[in-house]
Amino acid sequence: MITRSILLFLLVVALSVSRAAAEPGVSDTEIVIGGSNSFSGPLAYTGEQITKFGVDLYLRVVNDAGGIHGRKVRTIYYDDGYRPQDSVANTKKLVEQDGVFAIIIPQGSPPVVATLEYLEEHKVPMLFPYQSSPVTRARRYVFQGMTLSDRSSRMMIDYLAGTRKYKKFAALYQDDEYGKSFLAAFEKDLGRFGLKLTAAESVKRGVTDVSAQIAKLHAARPEVTFLVLVPGPAAQALRERQKIGWTDTLMVSTGPLTDEKYLALATDAANGVEGLSLWPDPATSDLPGVKLYRAYMVKYFPKNEPNRYSLAGYFAGMLFTEAAMRAGRNLTRESLITALESIKGFESGILPPLTIGRDHETQKQGFWVRVEKGRFTPLTDWLKSE
Amino acid sequence: MSGLATGSIYALMALSLVIIYNATRTLNFAQGEMLMISTFVGWTALQLLRAPLLVALLVAVVAAALLAWVLERTIIRHAISATHFDVLIITLGLSLMLRSAAGLLWTHDEFPFPSFFGSRPLGVGAVRVAPASLGIIGASLALMLALGALFRWTRLGRAMRAVAQNQRAARLMGISVEQVYSASWILAAAVGAVAGVLIAPVVFLSSQMGLVAINGFTAAVLGGFGSMPGAVVGGMVLGVLENLAPLYLPASIKHSVPFLVMITILIVRPGGLFGRVAPRKV
Amino acid sequence: MRAAALGSGAVVVLGWPWAAPRYFVFLASLIAINAIVAIGLNLLTGYTNQLSFGHAGFLAIGAYAAALLTIQAPLVPLPATLLAAGLVTAAMGLALGVPCLRLEGLYLAMATLAFGFVVVEAILNLDWLTRGNDGLRVPAARIGPWALTTDTSRYYVVVTVAALLILAARNITRTRTGRALLAVRESEIAAQASGVHLAAYKTLAFVVSAFYTGVAGGLFALVVGFLSPDSFDVFLSVDFVAMIIVGGLGSILGSVMGAAVITTLNDSLAGFQSYRPLVFGAILIVSMLFMPGGIASALQKIQPRQGDRA
Repeated sequence: MITRSILLFLLVVALSVSRAAAEPGVSDTEIVIGGSNSFSGPLAYTGEQITKFGVDLYLRVVNDAGGIHGRKVRTIYYDDGYRPQDSVANTKKLVEQDGVFAIIIPQGSPPVVATLEYLEEHKVPMLFPYQSSPVTRARRYVFQGMTLSDRSSRMMIDYLAGTRKYKKFAALYQDDEYGKSFLAAFEKDLGRFGLKLTAAESVKRGVTDVSAQIAKLHAARPEVTFLVLVPGPAAQALRERQKIGWTDTLMVSTGPLTDEKYLALATDAANGVEGLSLWPDPATSDLPGVKLYRAYMVKYFPKNEPNRYSLAGYFAGMLFTEAAMRAGRNLTRESLITALESIKGFESGILPPLTIGRDHETQKQGFWVRVEKGRFTPLTDWLKSE
Repeated sequence: MSGLATGSIYALMALSLVIIYNATRTLNFAQGEMLMISTFVGWTALQLLRAPLLVALLVAVVAAALLAWVLERTIIRHAISATHFDVLIITLGLSLMLRSAAGLLWTHDEFPFPSFFGSRPLGVGAVRVAPASLGIIGASLALMLALGALFRWTRLGRAMRAVAQNQRAARLMGISVEQVYSASWILAAAVGAVAGVLIAPVVFLSSQMGLVAINGFTAAVLGGFGSMPGAVVGGMVLGVLENLAPLYLPASIKHSVPFLVMITILIVRPGGLFGRVAPRKV
Repeated sequence: MRAAALGSGAVVVLGWPWAAPRYFVFLASLIAINAIVAIGLNLLTGYTNQLSFGHAGFLAIGAYAAALLTIQAPLVPLPATLLAAGLVTAAMGLALGVPCLRLEGLYLAMATLAFGFVVVEAILNLDWLTRGNDGLRVPAARIGPWALTTDTSRYYVVVTVAALLILAARNITRTRTGRALLAVRESEIAAQASGVHLAAYKTLAFVVSAFYTGVAGGLFALVVGFLSPDSFDVFLSVDFVAMIIVGGLGSILGSVMGAAVITTLNDSLAGFQSYRPLVFGAILIVSMLFMPGGIASALQKIQPRQGDRA
């Protein structure tokens, strides 16, 4: 039995001699990219939208038009349910077993940060992570997706304290990396105006009751109250405010929060709320790129409503395609990075012209909106965050 | 006030757990997910038929009863010879499956759910009262009284109490323990469905909604698992605690309060506020 | 026959990194880590009937203890770090176990569940120490002059520790202590009447269980390389319970198999995306319906003569 198992093992060893491949994930006919994302757990909806209805939507368009220099793009996604250890395992599997060319749009700070070092060590590009912690800035193998929290904060404070001359600020934030990174950025940016946060209250993910927090913030009498939350609790906060009849504060939502979902949940309690919008309205915008996105959505996924998450994924697919096109037929990880770094004034028809600099950020701007009759009405043009 | 309102919903969830526990001595991990599914079904009726909310509630209750009946007959009943631990894992598997199935059917998105009660504040003198809180408390109390009556005065209720007290004796008295099992699953699911419809406007309707049932567990333990009045009081205490703790406690520990209280109560009074530790038998 | 089985098992375990693709070396390390937790949990649940839904909390304590020690004191050799992680966690196990002596069954399950939540909250709020939600990156550990930077080197550390702990568990369960623990499971009162010091043994089981899980936590930090409160949610505790029930209560071999089955399932189902929990749940239900008592008792039924409760 011992000898038999040794023999068996030698056989397996002999068979598993590594395939000699050129660039991982790139063959004559195919480019394989993938990512670990939430398909279960608290962010399952976002995860599904940015990948299957976002990145894949754009790539279907590209593939149907003949692919990238004759290669079709295939995507592989694994579910991590927002657990960092699962995202590490999935990412290793993608790189080592599936041999993907690049990682695309992984979601959430903890799962993303958990895989950063590994990907850098193996020189695998991490494209457009969907999270807002600045830890991903200016890394050679990372091109950040979502607008980072410090940039969002800068735009928000410059506009509110600078242009609109508000003085008294408070924040209701989610008790995690997302909330805390915004809180720190707010303090820093308010400091430039000689101001600070008057009050800050935290909310735990998945709470049922935010009344105490709202009552405490109310007592601090801020002129502006930031909501650094996700749609559910944010809508609860707005309703609670309506319930206690608190009207003399301006509720402001952060970039990641300013989306249609949160309006739908808060219904009439959202009226008059303002916020920083990172995307044009996916359902109504007349921008050519957004119209095209809607047309493709109707064509390929008629049952799926347009939304910001799938638009973000769609934009990620578009950027990847643009870079891979520029890199030419001889596509390598290094040539993809060079190509991404060469992007200047790229017109997507969705966001303002994009130039990728040394910081490797692909989204840096937002514009101000106010909720009127259940929709976001733009108040400003694209704001600057430099 | 809003603490008591959430508390009474927790109490309903705790009750539905206790009903099953008393009859079968097992915990139903899938209680929250059953509640979520039935609320989704009610909501679908609302969307498709433009039905009034009351109809949605009825649909949810019927759907819950049906789901519970099917699950009990097809799966749980077959595990009757298995240990409690095995049944625990089965209900755990059910909870995973139901949550995933809900995501596939209705997506993992969050949806607003209409409330029976308006959210505009009513001014009563200097006090502002939200009608939602009053309504939730009233509805929950009514349901609890109905449950109390059922357990006290109906044949089924007496049978369920008998099985809870001593299964073998109950069987000898001619009570069909299997029927009591089925009945308690159905009853628990129905109570859960009401809790679901009441809490959906607050936490919104989503595949993750079933996770609020963890508060039902906590409430049931606070009150002494197995005791019905205990479950009600436990729910109220938990709701008020959650409501008040953030007001008076430092941010760093406020989120742990319900759990710290639970550990403390368990250590000081292992039987919970109302429970009694059964004397050990050899 | 037994020697042959053991021998070929050893060959497979030691030869694995040369035969299997790299990813499966990593996966095998995860299985070994989960197996240690499962054994620890089984010593508690399978032997003294105390069910815990808080072992993710113990794992977190061990993982953070080891990670912080590696960061603050990089010169401490790895075995000492792992031992420290185990001891710190065992101390927590003692602190939780003593007050929980009065609790049984469901109440204990609930108290440990709450303990798991409190640990996660504590990690979040002690952010000056744990870096809270930002997460903690764990530097490569060292054994003497070697830094453990490859999956293979880490694998050998993990399986060595796992093997030692499996042997230790076998010894515990076969001695007077093990018999005393089993007696506690069968009937606490009868055990007490036969002179078993009930409180002492139940506490001992808690402490040993926490020690195992703490060491596993140290290995977890080493292998995964990144810790965050999100890593240790209640579902992880539930996974551990599933491992010992699927594997078989009161069986060490069963614990290892349960860990292997659940870990492999979790991993191989990741590609099912939205269908993952659906398939996973269905497998759990079916296996419990057709294999009540878990893998260990199913094996016993197939091979009654070989069925030692290892």
